[in-house]
Amino acid sequence: MATSALSLEELIKKIKGQIDLSPDAEEYLYLISKERLFHKGSVLLREGQPVKKVYFVTDGCLRSYCIDKTGKEHTLQFAIKNWWISDYIAIHNKETATLSVECLKDSTVIEFNAAKLNEMLALFPEYEPFQRFILERHVVSLHKRILNQLQLTAAERYDLFIEQYPNIEQSTRNYHIASYLGITQESLSRIRVEKAKK
Amino acid sequence: MKALQLKAYGEINESLIFNEIPKPNMGPNDVMIEVKAAAINPIDKSIILGNLQSLLPIPLPCTLAYDVSGTVVEKGNDVGNFEIGDLVHSRVPQEQMGTLAEYVAVTNSAVSKKPGNVSFEEAASIPLAGLTAMQSLEYAQLKENDRILIHAGSGGVGSLAIQYAKSKGAFVYTTTSTANVEWVKALGADRVIDYKTEDYKTIANDVDIVFDTLGKAYTTESFEVVKPGGKVVSIVGPLDEESAQMFGMTDYKLSDEIATLSREKNAAYKFIFMHPNGAHLEIIKALIEDEKMKPIIDKVYPFEEAIEAFKHLASGRAKGKIVIKIN
Repeated sequence: MATSALSLEELIKKIKGQIDLSPDAEEYLYLISKERLFHKGSVLLREGQPVKKVYFVTDGCLRSYCIDKTGKEHTLQFAIKNWWISDYIAIHNKETATLSVECLKDSTVIEFNAAKLNEMLALFPEYEPFQRFILERHVVSLHKRILNQLQLTAAERYDLFIEQYPNIEQSTRNYHIASYLGITQESLSRIRVEKAKK
Repeated sequence: MKALQLKAYGEINESLIFNEIPKPNMGPNDVMIEVKAAAINPIDKSIILGNLQSLLPIPLPCTLAYDVSGTVVEKGNDVGNFEIGDLVHSRVPQEQMGTLAEYVAVTNSAVSKKPGNVSFEEAASIPLAGLTAMQSLEYAQLKENDRILIHAGSGGVGSLAIQYAKSKGAFVYTTTSTANVEWVKALGADRVIDYKTEDYKTIANDVDIVFDTLGKAYTTESFEVVKPGGKVVSIVGPLDEESAQMFGMTDYKLSDEIATLSREKNAAYKFIFMHPNGAHLEIIKALIEDEKMKPIIDKVYPFEEAIEAFKHLASGRAKGKIVIKIN
């Protein structure tokens, strides 16, 4: 793709904005990554498979989800521009994927080799603060999600969701959002109707 | 693998048996589905009783049922549209019949990913009835603001046909008995006719389309309520000549009664025999994921009680679909 280098360059520029990245480390990042275009409906990671990649979204929309015993899907995360997505549970526990990751619209991502990205911390310790920054941001986002789930009403959670992911409703089906918020599709429709009345 | 088989045509109690049989063979275009759930349909009962021997000659013993949901565990060399691990559902083609088993091999063109927002049991209940409803109403070219009469709104096909017709923006009349009126209304039907207390023929008049799911007198009566130039589509009435040819009956003639009624009313008559189609299932999948359609399940039986499930099917009292959980 013609724009591939650009987006990766932009990401590296971002990284350089936060840490001092040596030329060697920069080259290593280029070596372990690849910009890719995935079409809507593509499955980047499938439950039960080994997890070899992590993805940085440069455009588009992806989601990670699990499938419960009855066969129904539950959305864990949506990833839009500038978000990372993969199955971190599997990577950390060195297990096969318990999540699937799919594209909800045509998306461009930078695909990193997960093992090599991890090795980068040992090879180039200067990268560590950036990794920690991503991780902290991820933890904050997860904690917020848990707290919201515990203390906010469904309508409030929906409002926050729309704020966090503007325009996402154009790429998602109702059940993606309902299963992310932990409510039924009927409840989601009701919330939208109530909101429209205001 | 374990499979529920028909050993000889006859009464349900005497003709079904659980057998240990080999896993089915796979062709290059097939996917092997590890079965999670299977659904049974009136056609399965007709097969057991031997009523379809002339139309569908099946060597016995054979594994029963057409509807399946499950996980793709193997795929043929020429399969490009599915991966191992995909969750799918299908109405399997006649020659691959036998979803009441731990595994079934299905040609990929008859398979669709299952809707993500429903369970395996619900997904198994959809294909045959959903495709029947969709293909019948599409054949009739149902469009927005058409008025359609759908018989037996509480049945497996009727309940999905109501929802499909509503998704197209049609005005739906449907018939059902008193006990089912409320929940059938909730499916979106505009006018639910309680056939125990009301005469549907005085309520659904001059409709654009009649969808006949009951047959016998209901097929002929369809011509009383359809408008001139309208259409009668039936899944249980007599075969029309084109459909008969499909079954190799070259000298078949539509009964004089139906032919006369059709001519006098200038209303087309068509018998619909559902055909397996993964692409059509994909359309239904989208409608289900958008909650424009939802599967209606009467009861889920464990595999070991599958014979009981057939008896329930034979009673004709099921509201929606009967599903058998396999794994």
